[in-house]
Amino acid sequence: LLSFFKSMTGQKELTDENLEPVMNKMKEHLVNKNVAANIAQHLCDSIAKGLVGQTLGSFKSIQSHVKQSMELALKRILTPKTSVDLLRDIAQAQAEKRPYTIVFIGVNGVGKSTNLSKTAFWLLQNNLKILIAACDTFRSGAVEQLRVHVRNLKALEQNAVVDLYEKGYGKDSAAIAKEAISSAKITGHDVVLIDTAGRMQDNDPLMRALAKLVTVNNPDKIIFVGEALVGNEAVDQLTKFNAALKDFSGLANPRHIDGMILTKFDTIDDKVGAALSMTYTTGQPILFVGTGQTYTDLKNMKVSHVVASLLKD
Amino acid sequence: MVLNDLGRKINGAIQSMSKANVIDEKVVDDMLKEIVRALMESDINIKLIQNLRNNVKASVNLDENTGAVNKKRNIQKAVMDELTRLVDPGVEAWKPKKGKSNVIMFVGLQGSGKTTTCTKLAAFYQRKNFKTCLVCTDTYTETDPVQLAHEGVSNFRKENFDIIIVDTSGRHKQEQELFDEMQQISLAINPDSTIFVMDGTIGQAADGQARAFKEAANVGSIIVTKMDGHAKGGGAISAVAATRCPIIFIGTGEHMHDLEPFAPGPFISKMMGMGDISGLMET
Ligand SMILES: Nc1nc2c(ncn2[C@@H]2O[C@H](COP(=O)(O)OP(=O)(O)OP(=O)(O)O)[C@@H](O)[C@H]2O)c(=O)[nH]1
Ligand SMILES: Nc1nc2c(ncn2[C@@H]2O[C@H](COP(=O)(O)OP(=O)(O)OP(=O)(O)O)[C@@H](O)[C@H]2O)c(=O)[nH]1
Ligand SMILES: [Mg+2]
Ligand SMILES: [Mg+2]
Repeated sequence: LLSFFKSMTGQKELTDENLEPVMNKMKEHLVNKNVAANIAQHLCDSIAKGLVGQTLGSFKSIQSHVKQSMELALKRILTPKTSVDLLRDIAQAQAEKRPYTIVFIGVNGVGKSTNLSKTAFWLLQNNLKILIAACDTFRSGAVEQLRVHVRNLKALEQNAVVDLYEKGYGKDSAAIAKEAISSAKITGHDVVLIDTAGRMQDNDPLMRALAKLVTVNNPDKIIFVGEALVGNEAVDQLTKFNAALKDFSGLANPRHIDGMILTKFDTIDDKVGAALSMTYTTGQPILFVGTGQTYTDLKNMKVSHVVASLLKD
Repeated sequence: MVLNDLGRKINGAIQSMSKANVIDEKVVDDMLKEIVRALMESDINIKLIQNLRNNVKASVNLDENTGAVNKKRNIQKAVMDELTRLVDPGVEAWKPKKGKSNVIMFVGLQGSGKTTTCTKLAAFYQRKNFKTCLVCTDTYTETDPVQLAHEGVSNFRKENFDIIIVDTSGRHKQEQELFDEMQQISLAINPDSTIFVMDGTIGQAADGQARAFKEAANVGSIIVTKMDGHAKGGGAISAVAATRCPIIFIGTGEHMHDLEPFAPGPFISKMMGMGDISGLMET
């Protein structure tokens, strides 16, 4: 009788059955936006679970109700839970009379060195003195690439203090980072930006070397650089980088990724799903998005914009 | 290789289907659900997945009075055909000819592995006794890449190099200027083959970028890089359908020799462990 009454007034109770086709569509929609398939599945499952048993008013379709719940969930996941104010943290380190240190890590070719240089440009505009530590001692041209960036950055800003600490190729990157930080203390650089070699998350020796660099230098921020182009691999990359920092550190309180830079955001149109995959996997904020190949192409991520792109038809 | 992982999952789905006594809609749907999930987790383009699902469904006639064994065989064949279509564009890959200068131009997104792969391919041809050289048009300086490409290729042609590989800078479809430059380089050097380099970890943006590169630069074949990690390579595989071009090599590391020839047919049978399935289907 109750259900007869509901259908008469256009009311509808949400069930697993009537939700399923809508959730399946929603999942494929998210996958098409480049959200990792597992994450799209988890999200849809948890939203469906929350909706079962609810009653919809007469004019509301299940579809728009699901969309609304999804919008809330996406906003919650993407909104940073910790501070993203780097400048405040740097000011704190200045007060403690020590250089603030940031290490950039990630897989091959995602844009670590380029976005490190963009970060340097932004910090220079805030009148900070920057030392870049060339700790990719492996890939041909990695040191020269940074040298060119330093030269460019010097030319861009009249009184810019930006220098390169380099020891060539083949050396232990953890030791070079350590020397760079000690040297920054003496020379009065405010921030040390540590470039590292790209590495595959499954490459055990290289992941151990990265964990060592972090353990030896205990940087203020560990930034994972990931590209917006990456698909399902985003999850595996972040999970294994975090696992390596934990398992290979030998510390009781190991470090983890503190935040991300999402690069190549200009190459994906509205397929912004990697932003969701990365924040969902780590629970850490996206500090910047990279939107191009020049120094000014480093932006704050607009959560509302990402949510809108994810839901757009 | 991790592509095997996809093969294993699809194989598993087909095996579950074959264990059923009666082949009805539910059995087929369950199998397709598993296959679809495996493809989604491998970054295969979502539209290709939807097509595959529809095509397999359309190709099996459940009402037909053929018995379960035949139905199973038909379903398996439909799945295999669809998977083969994903990876095999049905065209022969370009091959260099001895006794002339073969110009190969590399294009692709930023950081996809073009420069690294240029050197790997040069080493590959050198081992095959081709006289091989590289032209770099991606410099830190203001030098015009079109002019550089033209000069480099003409000079090396005169010096009778067999293989002239031209590296270009990374670019993407959203920046028209970069695409214009690529077209100008292509016009200036008139390559015998243009190779599109794709990162094996790319997700759903692959299709759109691949189409744009194909249209602008007349891509002839694809090399998928960074397959030494955990990457499933499905985004790059989707580029095959988008460009109608074959994958010719995969990159499996940062070192000079980390390049493996790739051919669709053997790949599919290896990926699916075909022997296992056919053995199973006979029972
Ligand atoms: N379109 C676009 N290209 C970018 C962006 N960030 C970096 N790139 C390009 O991506 C390519 C690779 O950048 P790198 O900074 O060398 O990458 P990396 O992670 O340091 O690479 P490895 O050190 O070799 O692992 C370069 O061509 C950059 O110009 C971005 O936000 N947008
Ligand atoms: N692990 C692994 N790394 C690779 C592979 N191919 C290239 N790389 C790495 O990917 C990064 C980028 O490679 P590049 O060859 O510089 O890429 P590119 O396409 O020339 O980059 P741009 O010219 O900046 O657009 C480097 O760190 C390479 O060592 C591969 O097959 N496996
Ligand atoms: Mg680098
Ligand atoms: Mg290059």
